[in-house]
Amino acid sequence: MDCQKIEELISLYIENELSEELHDEVSAHLEQCEECTLLKEKIEEMLYVFPDLEEDVPFYVKNRIYYIPESQHIEIMPENRFGFLKWIAAAIGTFVLALNLFYFTNVYPPANRVLHSSVADVKSFAVDAGAFIQKVAESKGMYLLSIFKKEKNSDRDPEFDSYKSDKTIPISKEKSEVKKGEQNERKTNNTN
Amino acid sequence: MIVDNYSKKVYNIALNFVGNRDEAADITQDIFLKLYNNIEKFNHEEGNLTSWLLTLSRNYCIDYWRKNKYHRKNLELDDTLAVEAPASIKTPEDKAVNENESAYLRKKLMLLPPDLRTLIIMRDIEDYTYEEISEHLDIPLGTTKSRINRARTRLARILLEEKGR
Repeated sequence: MDCQKIEELISLYIENELSEELHDEVSAHLEQCEECTLLKEKIEEMLYVFPDLEEDVPFYVKNRIYYIPESQHIEIMPENRFGFLKWIAAAIGTFVLALNLFYFTNVYPPANRVLHSSVADVKSFAVDAGAFIQKVAESKGMYLLSIFKKEKNSDRDPEFDSYKSDKTIPISKEKSEVKKGEQNERKTNNTN
Repeated sequence: MIVDNYSKKVYNIALNFVGNRDEAADITQDIFLKLYNNIEKFNHEEGNLTSWLLTLSRNYCIDYWRKNKYHRKNLELDDTLAVEAPASIKTPEDKAVNENESAYLRKKLMLLPPDLRTLIIMRDIEDYTYEEISEHLDIPLGTTKSRINRARTRLARILLEEKGR
């Protein structure tokens, strides 16, 4: 019997739980092997001291257990606050997979058409946006400035202002005259 | 009743697992709080409750140890944790030696992996039989015996190496 085998059996040997035959074999090995004997003696020493590690429960610990406040009578393990995120991720994943299904196959032709037209819209928008950005970049911002100026100028266009001032007054006058006429007609109808 | 019957076991498992009285008190209170909140599940069956409580104590201690592993590096073990031996059969000198040995052994016990440490606590400190440990923790009897043996030999080797230095 080698040392490794003895190490596997040493606790049962100390606790006298081995068969007589095995017990004798271990005893014979221990008589010859100093290292295994040291190990056995150390374990016996430990087993002698271990029971002394047990203590009585201090009174304050018992008091704490007896008088646990009602407010603490809830689950100790905190709930996972961000547990819902995995469900959101799963929903997004499922949605994307479904979109792929309708985009790359013709399972449901209307959905396929809608998806393709939406993708085309997004692409054209991206192209437009890219062209706009490129234009702005090439003109070093002057393009944006020119648009801004145009808008400002159109607000201050004297022709437009005069048109507004010319038209609004007569229109309002006409409207007020029409309204007065209508009111008079109603009055006469009521009296009749 | 339950507190009287089980608090000592739970407290000692926690105390010998973390090696610190304050932490052991906190762990004991948390374990009993869990028990209060789930007491209706057990139908007052003694064996069932014991198994549940021991499994809970073991799992709670292991979780606690893992969560606080990095903080513990800066924490010193409670050096006053030595246990008083019965005064009637010990001289003051013997008592002092015994206290030192207990404190030393508890300190070295912390060097074992958590699962092996729990088994040593249950078998050698709390004096459960192999069969009880196997039943309560739901581990095969042979595995229980071999793990406890492994824990003892590993701890003995640690102590022998320390002595050899």
